[in-house]
Amino acid sequence: MNEPRIRFENIAKRYGALTVLDNPDIPCNGKVMNEPIVRFENVTKRYGALTVLNELNLSIARNEKVCIIGPSGSGKTTVLRMLMTLERINGGVIWVDGEPLTHVQKRGQMVLASDRHLRRVRGKIGMVFQHFNLFPHMTALQNCMEAPVSVLGLPKKDAEARAAELLEMVGLSGKKNHFPIQLSGGQKQRVAIARALAMRPKVMLFDEVTSALDPELIGEVLSVIRKLGAEHDLTMLMVTHQMGFAKEFSDRVCFFYDGKIIEQGPPDQLLGNPQNERTRQFLSAVLEANS
Amino acid sequence: MNEFALGFSVAALVKGALTTLVVTFGASVVSIVLGLIAGLLRVSPLWPLRWFAVGYIEFFRGTSLLVQVYLLFFVLPIFGVALAPWTVAIFGIGMNVSAYGAELVRAAIQAVDRGQYEASIALNFRRLTMMRRIVLPQAVRIMLPPWGNLLIELFKSTSLIFFITITELTAASKLAADATGNYLLFFAVALFGYYVIARALITPFVRWLERRLSSGFVRQVLS
Repeated sequence: MNEPRIRFENIAKRYGALTVLDNPDIPCNGKVMNEPIVRFENVTKRYGALTVLNELNLSIARNEKVCIIGPSGSGKTTVLRMLMTLERINGGVIWVDGEPLTHVQKRGQMVLASDRHLRRVRGKIGMVFQHFNLFPHMTALQNCMEAPVSVLGLPKKDAEARAAELLEMVGLSGKKNHFPIQLSGGQKQRVAIARALAMRPKVMLFDEVTSALDPELIGEVLSVIRKLGAEHDLTMLMVTHQMGFAKEFSDRVCFFYDGKIIEQGPPDQLLGNPQNERTRQFLSAVLEANS
Repeated sequence: MNEFALGFSVAALVKGALTTLVVTFGASVVSIVLGLIAGLLRVSPLWPLRWFAVGYIEFFRGTSLLVQVYLLFFVLPIFGVALAPWTVAIFGIGMNVSAYGAELVRAAIQAVDRGQYEASIALNFRRLTMMRRIVLPQAVRIMLPPWGNLLIELFKSTSLIFFITITELTAASKLAADATGNYLLFFAVALFGYYVIARALITPFVRWLERRLSSGFVRQVLS
């Protein structure tokens, strides 16, 4: 690693309660923008004797939309969960925005990161879950306000305004005082998307976000994601079974099999003309299931 | 039956019932506070706190309440700590019940859906904030019905404090029965008295809490 010429290290700037900069680590050597925002470097994940991911290498560029497909048990959800720090990794390093997420550099050595470091870096990442995981004791609006207020320390008024704005963006301004139990699956998932966005992540992870929905509700969630991709500078990493959406939305599709990426490329190529036998088998099975 | 003995006995009975109520209330507060603390320590990520909670729970849950109360009342004075009977009653019963309560707290915290923890991590909550804002509000709902049971248990166990010189409802009934010879009447009154107090005070209180805390949950629709 060559040392950057200028470096901002943990600079914070606040105006009253509003945090404008929160400890960004910006090595300014002119290469920052070209650096991938997420990079998996030889990442291995094991559950006991079972190796779920085997020396995974995957780089994701800023604002890139990547879809991950593959049969169940292939490790695709694990990729997202490790990036969100919901799972510890057993080998390798994950880099986020130019710095290691899972490790810190100490005297030239990489050592496992403390919780404090994890918290700081994972603030750049937001996640939407298959089963929504909304807070049941809070209304849609409160769900979107809670973390900005109690994690970022935003004043309630500002957090509420932002939450209302986000709920409007996902088409739910009329439901902001409803509890999750009063919402349909599609509505819940849209609240969950707004809730994740309220933390202003740079990278959004979508973990099979339409898999728990009735077929007629899938469209409303996908159109929100489509809108997000079009209107915001967001890097998106999505595990999905919606091949049509992957084809139209993503910049790249990765096919996972047995803990490895065995084929990846632009969606037209990978979904239209797959080179690997496993990919072909998987796609024809999915196609059959959907026909 | 002797009019004088009857009047005297009824007055003693009322006083005994009041004593029972006061001790129940005090011990309930102690057990809820300590049970919550011990339950939270029991699920702490720091092992010394967790072990401390385990020791506390094992001691107070695993040994006899009456012996614990005796210990506080008769043994502590040997070491120069003399506590008033009321203090022993309230803290002795409170600590004993808090050990059971701590396990209810632990079970409820662990029963909160795993997805709630994962969402809290994804939203970058600190552990304590997550506990306070996300997990506990849901855990409290889960643990209320068993806490209701536990408080009724606590209420009935207050009869043991007769052994440390406090005349509560059971003791007052026994004394009244002895004085008048009317065992049927006074034990029936005691039996009924316990039921009425539990039914009229503890159960409605827990129900009220359940209703208050159920916004956003299915129970609101079902109840």
